Amino acid sequence: MTQNRYYIWLILMNSLINIIIFVPRELIDGRFTGTQAAIPLAVLSGTLITFMFTAVIRKFPGKGVPEIFAASLPKFTVPPLLVIFGLLWCTAGLITLLSFVDITLRFISPDTRPLIVLLSFLVVVCFSVRMEPLSLLYGLEMMLAISLPLIVYATFKAVVNPAFSWDAVLQTFTYSLHTPNWNSFLAATFSFSGYINMAIFNRLFHQLKLKPLHIVIVAVQGFIILLLSFLVPIGYFGTIGVGKHIYTWFSTADSIRIETFLIERMLFIFYMAYLPLSLVSVVIHWHVGKELLLALFPVPKKRKSSSVRLWQEGFILAAFCAAAFSLMHLDQYELNQFGVIFLDVRWYGEVALLLLLLYCYAVKRRRAL
Amino acid sequence: MGGQGDRSDISLEWIKGQLSGFADLEYRTLQTSDDETELLYVKSVTDGQAIGRAIIAPYYEMDNSEAYYRYLACSPGSHTEVDRKQALELVLAGGVCVQKDGRLIICEVPKAQSAGVRETITESVSQGPSDALSEDLEVNMNLIRRRYQSAQLKMETAVIGNVSRTKTAILYDESRVDHKVLAELKDRLDALQLDILQAAGELEKYLCGDKIRIFPKTIVTERPDRVVFNLAEGKVVIMLDTTGYAVILPVIFNDFFTAMDDKIHLPIAGRFLKLLRIIGVIMTLWLPALYVAFTSYNPEIVRVQIALLIAGSRATVPYPSFVEVLIMLLMMEFLTEASLRLPKAIGPTATTVGGLILGQAATEAGLVGNIMIILVSAVAISNFMIPLNMMSFSIRVLKYFFILASATAGLVGVVCCLVGFTMYLCSQRSFGQPYFKLFVLDSLGTDNRKRGGSK
Repeated sequence: MTQNRYYIWLILMNSLINIIIFVPRELIDGRFTGTQAAIPLAVLSGTLITFMFTAVIRKFPGKGVPEIFAASLPKFTVPPLLVIFGLLWCTAGLITLLSFVDITLRFISPDTRPLIVLLSFLVVVCFSVRMEPLSLLYGLEMMLAISLPLIVYATFKAVVNPAFSWDAVLQTFTYSLHTPNWNSFLAATFSFSGYINMAIFNRLFHQLKLKPLHIVIVAVQGFIILLLSFLVPIGYFGTIGVGKHIYTWFSTADSIRIETFLIERMLFIFYMAYLPLSLVSVVIHWHVGKELLLALFPVPKKRKSSSVRLWQEGFILAAFCAAAFSLMHLDQYELNQFGVIFLDVRWYGEVALLLLLLYCYAVKRRRAL
Repeated sequence: MGGQGDRSDISLEWIKGQLSGFADLEYRTLQTSDDETELLYVKSVTDGQAIGRAIIAPYYEMDNSEAYYRYLACSPGSHTEVDRKQALELVLAGGVCVQKDGRLIICEVPKAQSAGVRETITESVSQGPSDALSEDLEVNMNLIRRRYQSAQLKMETAVIGNVSRTKTAILYDESRVDHKVLAELKDRLDALQLDILQAAGELEKYLCGDKIRIFPKTIVTERPDRVVFNLAEGKVVIMLDTTGYAVILPVIFNDFFTAMDDKIHLPIAGRFLKLLRIIGVIMTLWLPALYVAFTSYNPEIVRVQIALLIAGSRATVPYPSFVEVLIMLLMMEFLTEASLRLPKAIGPTATTVGGLILGQAATEAGLVGNIMIILVSAVAISNFMIPLNMMSFSIRVLKYFFILASATAGLVGVVCCLVGFTMYLCSQRSFGQPYFKLFVLDSLGTDNRKRGGSK
């Protein structure tokens, strides 16, 4: 039985990688037009959706979304839905991957060819995507164990730094009463959408129990991480200057100096903490995408099942990789736009998935009666 | 074939015919005035003195031939009802055939050539027991039963190898073992088809199935206390006759970094030692790769002084850093390998020649940097901090993957390689059990005092 803690890790992972996937960028864009009010709203709605989604999917113990759909929805609607959701997950992975390639080239090794960086990421990702889901959860836990202390250290260092301008942070709070900004709200809910991976990982959870404590953890971690990712860059660059950075957090990390260690710039520690985490998040998103799309293919007959499955998986992964290569030419601005569009579309997708599952549950109830 | 039908016509002559061409076959006739008994045995696997004491002497001491027959049939390790196949096996394993009035008895009087209980060689500890498993299964069983006096300790036997007929014992604590693991092990043992089995490591190779794997999935150990500790943890132990090593399974990754004296030390000291080993592994894996990354790709990561220092020491080196690293590491591997094979008397010479002269001369000639020499020695030393040999070898190979990755993509490559191997480790299973994950979190709430101790 998979323990419930893995469920929390999935949410925490999404929460932490928000800084790769342009969430701070969106939040900061709305710093004078209502982000401050949007964050608490996002915390509320995010926690609510998390709770509802988990409560619904609990009613289907050990089943993933493809099985649930196949059992309760009309036949012709299932493939298009799976394709749409599969592509959504694929895009989530793609954006993390591409923006991390960009970060690598900009901050870490400007001399390395983009192709090599992307290739080395893809090799690791494609190799891991095909692993068993349980192994992925073990891997995720391991990566969090490596990254989390480093991230906490970096954040702590950032906040206690004397150069951190609390005045700038307080200044932004004077805009708190502005009506919530819709875009910021959509971006901020990304911190909570880790639960959505349960669409596939629910296959492993047979007796998922969501205690009140879990809900509190989800809400609190999301709130803290959102606040930090919004405010810390402002403390470094000022209320106006912060608007000039694309990868706000990496620029922030680059402004911090460690006096007493072999490595002087916090950037590298931060980068090394985030690289494993982002790779694992890409692996998990693509794994979910792959499993959703895999449900489109007919289940092979028993004899040659493994090799046929291998070809099917290979085909899907090749398509994912091809998408990554073809989108590599996007420049920073386009990538940012792409990310923002994804953040918006994703939220509608999540709500749609939740409604669909509610419908499936209703069908199941009616049949049982 | 075999079975009931054969028993009637099995005779000493038949066995003798089967074993023709055995120079060490001994055939004797014991005669008294009115009576005659035939003996047949293979000299090299039987204990001559014991035969004299237990079989020949009573014959002349007892006048009554019927009483002698009963005496033989009752003595330990004797078989009266055997078929042809069993009879041959028994004789080859050290049995003596006694034929009297057409009735056949086979008594086991095996001789084991073993040197008693040795001291541990490959897994030494500073304090704690120093007995090693011997090459004799009986002696090993004695070593273990003495340390684990529980009725729950079960032992099953099997014979592996069509030619070598290696006696194998499977040990487990019935109340603690995971029966799924046991069942899977038995399945795999049954499926095993091989002629010769001579080493415990060989068995683990056959048991684990997949061809390309870099991490050992069973522990091969020579320490009875490790065997007992693992039995108490609910693991299964396989012991082979004639090897002196036991195979423990299933294992987790962390087991390979536990030395048996960790528990002897004070808790904090024990933890510290374990931490040292983990740091050692990280160093031996990463140092060479990071050196390549820092010199060839990202010199700006480390402090300016360090970057300058490294660059200064490499000023005369005429090739890229990864060639330098490879040359020195290979040199180090040659030294390690050579000093393993060399006779004990010449061993120190090799180290002196290699370490002092090669290292010193190579730097002075400008072929490698000073810092490189320090780094290579650190790598070599930290590699051997791993208590179990198998894992230490795996790590030794593994560092080349990291060097390769860092030579292609710099720091990014190193981190990618780390992620890849972590994921690979997480995907591994040892007999259906997870091999690598954060086990610490699993045992957080549970009380582990009942088990063997803290991990």
